[in-house]
Amino acid sequence: MPRLSTELLIIGGGATGLGIAWDACLRGFKVVLIEQNDIGQGTSGRYHGLLHSGARYAVTAPSLARECAQENAILRRIASAAIEDTGGYFLATPADPLYFPDRWLKACKQASLQVEEVEVAELLRREPRLSPRISRAFRVQDASMDSFDLLHILRRAILEAGGHVLLRHRLVGFIHRGGTLVAAEIEDLMTASPLCISFELAINAGGPWAAHIANFAAVHLPLALGKGTMVAMASRPVHSVLNRCRPPSDGDIIVPVGSVSVLGTTDIPVSDPRDLQIQDHEVDALLAEAEMLLPGITHARALRAWAGIRPLLAPPVDAGAPETRSLGRAHAILDHEALDGPGGIISVVGGKLTTFRLMAQECLDVVCERFGRSVQCSTSTTALEPADRRFFALPMRHRRLAHREPGNHASDLICECEFVQQGDIHRALAADPPQTLDDLRRDLRIGMGPCQAGFCAFRTADIMAPVLSQPAQELAAFLHERWKGLRPVAWGKTLQQMEFIRRLYAELLGFSQPPSGSR
Amino acid sequence: MIDLIIVGAGLTGLFAANLAAELGASVCLVARGRGGLSLSHGCIAVLDRAQPLRALDRLPATHPYKLVGKQSLKQSAKAFSRMMRAEALPYRGRLSHSLPLLQASGQSTWVNLAPPSLGQAHGPLVGIASIEGFRDFAPQMLAQALRAKEGYHVRVIQLPLPHPFRELYASDLAARFDVPQWCSETLRLWKPFVRGLDTLILPAILGLRRHLHVFHLIQEHFGCAVLEIPTLPPSLPGLRLERALRLRAKRLGVRFIEGSAAIGRAEVRSGKARVAGVQLQSAGGPRSLSSQAILLATGGTMHGGLAALHAGRMRESVFGYPIEVQPERSSWTAASPFSPQPYAMAGLCVNTCMHPLDPAGEPLFHNLYAAGGVIAGSDRVYQGSRQGIDLATAYRAMQSIMEDSHH
Repeated sequence: MPRLSTELLIIGGGATGLGIAWDACLRGFKVVLIEQNDIGQGTSGRYHGLLHSGARYAVTAPSLARECAQENAILRRIASAAIEDTGGYFLATPADPLYFPDRWLKACKQASLQVEEVEVAELLRREPRLSPRISRAFRVQDASMDSFDLLHILRRAILEAGGHVLLRHRLVGFIHRGGTLVAAEIEDLMTASPLCISFELAINAGGPWAAHIANFAAVHLPLALGKGTMVAMASRPVHSVLNRCRPPSDGDIIVPVGSVSVLGTTDIPVSDPRDLQIQDHEVDALLAEAEMLLPGITHARALRAWAGIRPLLAPPVDAGAPETRSLGRAHAILDHEALDGPGGIISVVGGKLTTFRLMAQECLDVVCERFGRSVQCSTSTTALEPADRRFFALPMRHRRLAHREPGNHASDLICECEFVQQGDIHRALAADPPQTLDDLRRDLRIGMGPCQAGFCAFRTADIMAPVLSQPAQELAAFLHERWKGLRPVAWGKTLQQMEFIRRLYAELLGFSQPPSGSR
Repeated sequence: MIDLIIVGAGLTGLFAANLAAELGASVCLVARGRGGLSLSHGCIAVLDRAQPLRALDRLPATHPYKLVGKQSLKQSAKAFSRMMRAEALPYRGRLSHSLPLLQASGQSTWVNLAPPSLGQAHGPLVGIASIEGFRDFAPQMLAQALRAKEGYHVRVIQLPLPHPFRELYASDLAARFDVPQWCSETLRLWKPFVRGLDTLILPAILGLRRHLHVFHLIQEHFGCAVLEIPTLPPSLPGLRLERALRLRAKRLGVRFIEGSAAIGRAEVRSGKARVAGVQLQSAGGPRSLSSQAILLATGGTMHGGLAALHAGRMRESVFGYPIEVQPERSSWTAASPFSPQPYAMAGLCVNTCMHPLDPAGEPLFHNLYAAGGVIAGSDRVYQGSRQGIDLATAYRAMQSIMEDSHH
């Protein structure tokens, strides 16, 4: 069996795991990160796109609110390539409790958040699609953050700092020595071959899978999983993030991200991290709430819907150090040895995408203490620069169209919705081992725009044909995967688009269902 | 007054307009959009079966083929073939035995009538053209699929263009092939690359206006068979068919009013409810058009003949008539895009005369007819029955209209 050895083995390639790996690399640790799927396939990629100002938690969790505000300011500095400074508003509608705005405003002031009440009439001039029935409006420091971009920049930063990121590698067990974990048995899912990684410390950053991972170490980790559904509308009727000024509840947020607006979210307890089924009533509830802020939005085109699983730590595991960890706190770092468990493993659970850097910092502080090293965290002052900015933000991709060389087909548009050029695909293929179309989608946003893979998937499959064993089947499998997110919003223009895709691929081009289990 | 208003400019509407005009009716075709022929492989498929007529008997009683009957289907195909011959766009094939049509995926589907440039590749030596800068055909993917089949020796041939172009659509290339000088220059340029082949496979780009000429010229020039494969839209075989039907209809005196949505008007005359005509939502304001009869050829959910609403309802778009569907939207679609879709079965229920029916089974109006995708009872993508249904229902509707107008 092939073997690797490292100081830190990080399990999970979401924002938490990648953040920890990045911080660890900067502090000089040898790092291997394993992820069972692709970057962005879990909770971090299934997200509404909000960089929290903290105001959402001002009443219910003031310490989290303060953390969000601090991290918001830091991320704007270090990860600007993934962030659009949309600004945000908290808006009171006739459906919201009258008492709430003043109480919330007071809590925001106590948490030192930047909040400013604005004239509704002035706001309506800036955002004319907003409901004129809004009674009060407050400006906050929200922004929108593209989590795919953030995760990709993090991964690059880790690789550049000498860390290793192994995708499609799944944990199958731990090896103990005298009550301490010393190695992990891993399966490489692409080649179905085993791998053994010995480590000094494992960090469980599995998100909704954290309890499952802890089980391998014979540790019970009580997680409460909540499914949150989001709907992306295929337009940006407002410039800013919109929050409902009321206690946190379903459908209280609208985030403009790239060319779409995301309506979020619901919260339904589930028992399995794979339970991502979206119900009609969740979509209806999100649209009904969004109608209160943006009348008529129900008649706009919904692009697609998706669900993510929030992993929250169920109390009372925090009891280990009650003085520093208030109950409302959203994340926890659990050193299992200190909690009468095995040595050699730490679990990091809960948290928000906005606070991923802080979680990593706190985690590495614990790690440094264990290793007896005193290295300061430097992530808050290290800029995360994408190596190739062309992979990122839509406006940048659009701008480069003006500078194309005539006769150079590398700059031909393959995806006209997201401005992906032929050269982008070749570069992505060269940078990584053979990938599926779905991996390329998470790298380049192929298939995510208004045509929902109608044109680009066919073109891309041909470019990828030399590295795929059965490109036609891979293409059909990709369309099948994309179809899932369309079904919950299958009415009106979305249903037209679905029929269009079916008509193109099944009728005009002659593709058919791939045999089950292929790929 | 006009005899007949046809709403919709797809295969159904254009074919019906030609039939009616041939019979001397005054016809006005109104359409909001362009119809679906730019998304079409340009062939006539009855069912995705080698012998579709044999399978018709086993279809459910509500299927459009069952309502129109085998006879109307056969007559419609005959009328279609006759029209296409007259327009110098001859189709070959018959309904009893299907032809295999090789498609971009490398798989074949069964069609019954096909233009000469489409069909299957004759091996063993097959060259697949990869045309510089043309993105909407997948030569590598097709080559891999054909290599997996027996009896083919496949190579992909890179073909340059006389002038560099960026992001061409199939229609851009076809427009160039329509220019004789460009065409001959290109064939000269390609000739050294195309040697020793049995068949050269090209994306369907060989011209719109004079493609038959180009098709014969290129085979002569290269000394091998040439096969066109339908590409991403705009799909030329469909556009050629559309062009032929449009030109013919215009020549026969059909009036076209396009770009305006139509809203149906009904009235009660001598105690009987009838459709009176349509109101057009045209740019200069609403405009009324009256007729003896109306044929809805508006298409299904994709083309807007049927509107699927968030509230879990569906309605017909011209008269706003409710369509029966399950209220749970999640039951409208299947888990895979390649499976039969419940939403695709929805539409207007019609009788054997193509009159849309109310829930009691009575015609909504004695002078309203429907044909093509707006009719319930078939998932035409899944069945591969689109054009057969379009032709047969349009033909049957036209028979009824003519019979009814004589009474």
